[in-house]
Amino acid sequence: MNALELDKVTKNFGDFCAVKDLSFNVLKGSVYGLLGPNGAGKTTTIRMVMNIIIPDKGTINFLGRKMDEEMKKRIGYLPEDRGLYPKMKIGELLLFFSELKGLKGAEARSRIDHWLGRFDLADWKLKKAEELSKGMQQKVQFIATVIHQPELIILDEPFAGLDPVNTKLLKDIMLEMKDKGVTIIFSTHRMEQVEMICDNICLINKGEKVLEGNLNRIKKEYGKNTIVLDYEGEAKYIKDFAEIENIDDYGRFMEVKLKKGGDPQDLLQYLTGKIRINKFEVKEPTLNAIFIAKVGEQNEKNSGGN
Amino acid sequence: MRKILAVIKREYLQIVKTKGFIIGTILGPVLMSLFLIVPILMSVVSVAEQENIGVIDASGKLFAELDKKMEQKLKDGSRRYLLEEYRVTGDISRLKEALNEKVLAKELSAYLFLPADISEGGEVEYVSEHVSDFDKTNNIRNALNSIIIGKRLKAEGLDPNKVGQLMSRINLSTKKVSKRGVEEDTGGTFIISYFLVLVLYMTLIFYGQAIMRGVIEEKSSRVVEIVLSSIRPFQLMAGKIIGIGAVGLTQYTIWGLFGIGFTTYGGALIADVFPATSSFNMPSIPAYIFIYFVIFFILGYFLFSTLFAAIGSMVNTEKEAQQFMTPVIMMLVIPLLLIIFIMRSPNSSISVILSMIPFFTPTLMLLRVCILLPPFIQVGGSIVLMALTTLLMIWLTAKIYRVGLLMYGKRPRIREIIKWMRYK
Repeated sequence: MNALELDKVTKNFGDFCAVKDLSFNVLKGSVYGLLGPNGAGKTTTIRMVMNIIIPDKGTINFLGRKMDEEMKKRIGYLPEDRGLYPKMKIGELLLFFSELKGLKGAEARSRIDHWLGRFDLADWKLKKAEELSKGMQQKVQFIATVIHQPELIILDEPFAGLDPVNTKLLKDIMLEMKDKGVTIIFSTHRMEQVEMICDNICLINKGEKVLEGNLNRIKKEYGKNTIVLDYEGEAKYIKDFAEIENIDDYGRFMEVKLKKGGDPQDLLQYLTGKIRINKFEVKEPTLNAIFIAKVGEQNEKNSGGN
Repeated sequence: MRKILAVIKREYLQIVKTKGFIIGTILGPVLMSLFLIVPILMSVVSVAEQENIGVIDASGKLFAELDKKMEQKLKDGSRRYLLEEYRVTGDISRLKEALNEKVLAKELSAYLFLPADISEGGEVEYVSEHVSDFDKTNNIRNALNSIIIGKRLKAEGLDPNKVGQLMSRINLSTKKVSKRGVEEDTGGTFIISYFLVLVLYMTLIFYGQAIMRGVIEEKSSRVVEIVLSSIRPFQLMAGKIIGIGAVGLTQYTIWGLFGIGFTTYGGALIADVFPATSSFNMPSIPAYIFIYFVIFFILGYFLFSTLFAAIGSMVNTEKEAQQFMTPVIMMLVIPLLLIIFIMRSPNSSISVILSMIPFFTPTLMLLRVCILLPPFIQVGGSIVLMALTTLLMIWLTAKIYRVGLLMYGKRPRIREIIKWMRYK
């Protein structure tokens, strides 16, 4: 069953088309990655899901019902542009956010205490938001997102600015919620996080869908002709190899995509003696490579068409 | 509705709990009563000391009479002015120089030069280190005037007392006629209406800007999108405006209670402590003026606060807001400049038209209500007109607010703002 269904959603701001004919479905209880380069229309899409802005065309259904104001309290949204009222105490702030979601006093208070304890923030309850570090504020914002036990949570760059310990804590909580049947929409630029967490993804660029589906299937379709190379020496020798379609070079590490029909063994033979090879692995492409290739491909197509 | 209530509660407590509000609310009435009490006390508690005044009497005949006239007493019963005559022997300018020295040496507080032709219009000179003690110069002028005029009258064979009686001025008593009957009004209306209009003007600007700052804070702290994930922009705007409006009403209520207490008991209290002020009358304000004041405050508040909220949503910093604020502030300032004109001719057709312009109504119609209760059709009409304009403004500004809240980056142009209003 789908938790969320977008059908041919379009949004224009004046002459600028922010989202065009976008359709995708989010399976209930799954983690869905909403990806795209800066300015692709992700935030606009999420805002339309949250009923903050209204689509010009198309429909958005949440749990089988047309999205409306009442449904907002069944969703938790952690926007990328987020903050807290600087002069408010943490306890009051969370109570305010809970009241906005329709929670009543006593229930809200006990949940606030539970979450503050879980995030190791209990001592900060009476402190003003402006006294907290950025990471702590972020944890408070996350609490505000989930305090009302939503059925869908939308997290836009939830890990930005968190240290490894808190990143793990947040990830654990996300998976815990997933196990309880909560649907999660996860938007980020960190592809390795998407690969680790998401079941399905939708990649959008310039307001249009470029790629959608199950992450494993997408990777398979992309073919097993990617080579991950850990090397020392001159990279130019690799570039001269005829069968190469695309190279993503990091200096000591490289992801190489071969042309269709290209044999990895030929490349290995070609490189032997020219550079020092520490690791040579044939595998599915990383999501990062797919992202760069797909977005680049579409941008080229668009500029070629014009 | 529960959500709006949560916003109202937050906005209200956020301001009421601040030190600024508590101090302002308590300090306001204290300052106002000081303005009332201090001048009264000043008039009672005199700080005068005994002074030596030198007199050069070139006519040679006036000193004795002047000395008799300048008989003002200090509190302890001694004379306030001790006059000392300096006879003219030889050069007058040398004598004057000598007296200048005495003044500088503080032996004399001042000296007078009475010319020989004083009766024929010769100029009297008053020389002192400072000439700002109007009480003293008035005493001297009055004394000399009555002496010289008396002398002139006698020279013509007239009796100064008789002439004084004949020349006594008529008394003009100003009374106000209204449906409530005829009552005496000696300028109290002027002061009260001016005061109320100023209070209205200041609170409209103060609370309007408080709203604007609140919106800017929500934008710059980036909390707004989290809030909007729970409520509509319009609900947020409504909650904010009502919450801060409630702060304003709280402040008025505290001030009003204080004012009522002061006018009821204050006069008696002052009279009790300082018996000399028992003749002082506390001004009284008719109840209907208060009612209109509250109506115009509420309407004016909604009209201007929506504008301020929209401005806040369009900009990123208070500095950027200045440009948009100027026209709004002008709408509040222009009526202030028209106050004197309206007071002179509250019923002229220009006054009527000006007071019917919705943005001017809160101040100007209130002013007219204070001076003379205009026909109901005008007052009621202006209220209806204002209410309609306010609704229109809420509708328009809500559209701007909704888009502006989520717009960061550079300040929008007017053309872009008009475009915002067309977004679905």
